[in-house]
Amino acid sequence: MKNSSPLGMILALTVTAVVIGAILAGFYQLVEPRIEANRLAEEKRAIFSVLEGAETYDVIEREVPSDKKGGEIIRIFRGLDADGRTVGYAFIAEGPGFAGIIRMMVGLNFDLETLSGLKVMEQVETPGLGNKIGEEKFEGQFKGIAIRPRIEYLKNKKPVKPNQIQAITGATISSKAVVDAINKRVETILSVLGPQAAAGEG
Amino acid sequence: MASQRTLFQEFKKGIWAENPVIKMLLGMCPALAVTNSAVNGLAMGLASTFVVICSSAIVSIIRRFVPGGVRIPTYIIIIAGFVTLADLFLRAYFPVISKALGPYVPLIVVNCMIMGRAEFFASKHPVVPSILDALGTGTGFVWVLVVLGSIREILGSGSIFGVTLLSERIYTPWVVMILPAGAFLSLGLLIALINYLTQRRQGAH
Amino acid sequence: MKILLVFISAAIVNNFVLTYFLGICPFLGVSKRIDTSVNMGLATTFVMSLAAAITWLINHYILIAFNLPFLQNVTYIITIASLVQLVEMFIRKSSPSLYRSLGIFLPLITTNCAILGLTLFAALREYSFIESLSFGIGAGAGFTIALVIMAGIREELEFADVPAPLKGAPMTLLVAGMLALAFMGFAGLLSV
Repeated sequence: MKNSSPLGMILALTVTAVVIGAILAGFYQLVEPRIEANRLAEEKRAIFSVLEGAETYDVIEREVPSDKKGGEIIRIFRGLDADGRTVGYAFIAEGPGFAGIIRMMVGLNFDLETLSGLKVMEQVETPGLGNKIGEEKFEGQFKGIAIRPRIEYLKNKKPVKPNQIQAITGATISSKAVVDAINKRVETILSVLGPQAAAGEG
Repeated sequence: MASQRTLFQEFKKGIWAENPVIKMLLGMCPALAVTNSAVNGLAMGLASTFVVICSSAIVSIIRRFVPGGVRIPTYIIIIAGFVTLADLFLRAYFPVISKALGPYVPLIVVNCMIMGRAEFFASKHPVVPSILDALGTGTGFVWVLVVLGSIREILGSGSIFGVTLLSERIYTPWVVMILPAGAFLSLGLLIALINYLTQRRQGAH
Repeated sequence: MKILLVFISAAIVNNFVLTYFLGICPFLGVSKRIDTSVNMGLATTFVMSLAAAITWLINHYILIAFNLPFLQNVTYIITIASLVQLVEMFIRKSSPSLYRSLGIFLPLITTNCAILGLTLFAALREYSFIESLSFGIGAGAGFTIALVIMAGIREELEFADVPAPLKGAPMTLLVAGMLALAFMGFAGLLSV
């Protein structure tokens, strides 16, 4: 091995870093379209799983004020049936769960009063407990649930009102995270859709 | 001690005698973290094997050009580079597995097994033995992870590689096995079992 | 409030060692005696806090600004390795006695997957600067707690008659399993 002259050391490090950096940049360019395509495909699957009866969808984009700097662009997926009529609206809600960020696709019925479904897309909750939010047993509770005044969860009790679900036993935090994220997002979505729906679109 | 081992022996030692997880106690973080199912263990094992082979190969090729003082940082950059390649590859072509392994793929960088092979072997040996040494270590890593993953999956979910063996009707899964506690217990008992078998074999001689 | 939650979560509820399996190598290797464990824990906490802060800065002002997300792994690990090197040099100059007592542990902190793990998790969860710092300190505290508890148990185990196959790593792992089970009891703590 060469003796450790400072110039030699700096050269070795720099060359290595530059070469590795270049390889990574190149490979990233190569696969990034594919990674993006995967994400879109997953999004599409989620949209169709929460909007029953939808054959296609189009995208409504609006800018809304948010606590981040500048506004935020909201994307609402309007589901259309075979005759082009609106069946409902799907949107992404996310919020911090117990172990990480939970990302889900929420379906809102055309009546803007009830949800048409929920699909948890990304979560890293505790296996066997919190990650049950991704199971049909939990997600199914949101089909047809009333969103007014807001969605509530009950612990260890069966829901009695149309806007309630039962939290997962031993995973209240994860369940609460889902409910909070949906409630928060629904407000924003309704503020965007309200005027449009009233104008009789779809 | 200049070991005049054959190429095959360089490969073989990583599988049992110098197995990274059960003998050298390296690479335990991933061994515990992603073995909640057999397929996750396999994927992590293969990804790590890819990184250790590529890193050892490159380290061996450039070993005469790297000044001693910056050995470790240079190896770190190389290892981190290959880990990122593996991560990007999984995210592009196997997104489901990538999600399952989650943040533990980037953590392959600090899998001491990889740096260990680079520093203790690849930096002092030619390319072909280095690759075989890395391949042996990787194989040893893979089988331990698959075994561990299978045990935890069978006991914790009643399935193996996603195929249900014990349906919920006849067997209530020990959920703890797919939780962290189960990981520690499984690995501890596995190593104890192997120690026991090793000691018995030595005792018999 | 979230800052406190992040700290408690990292230190206890989602203890880095017992829930995320980060920092296992030093956890198994160093936890033989309580005093060395405390030293290792404090040194690690210090490095973790610095690492959390610096990587956040790098992430926001370089990686995100220039759209280089794929360089995250490489830059983070180089930062951590350099940080440990600097901390080592600093301690050697400023407090030789401390340096001697920490000995081999300092360089070992580099390969402590907990440090890289914490920086990657913080980036994944999009913590703010203060939250990342709190996360780093909490992770270090949790690591120290786990280490010290384990050391306490192992010191007692010295006098027990451990069967031959279980001696060493297996016993430590089994104890860690029981600790992990115990710590699961904290899961409801944050629902207050």
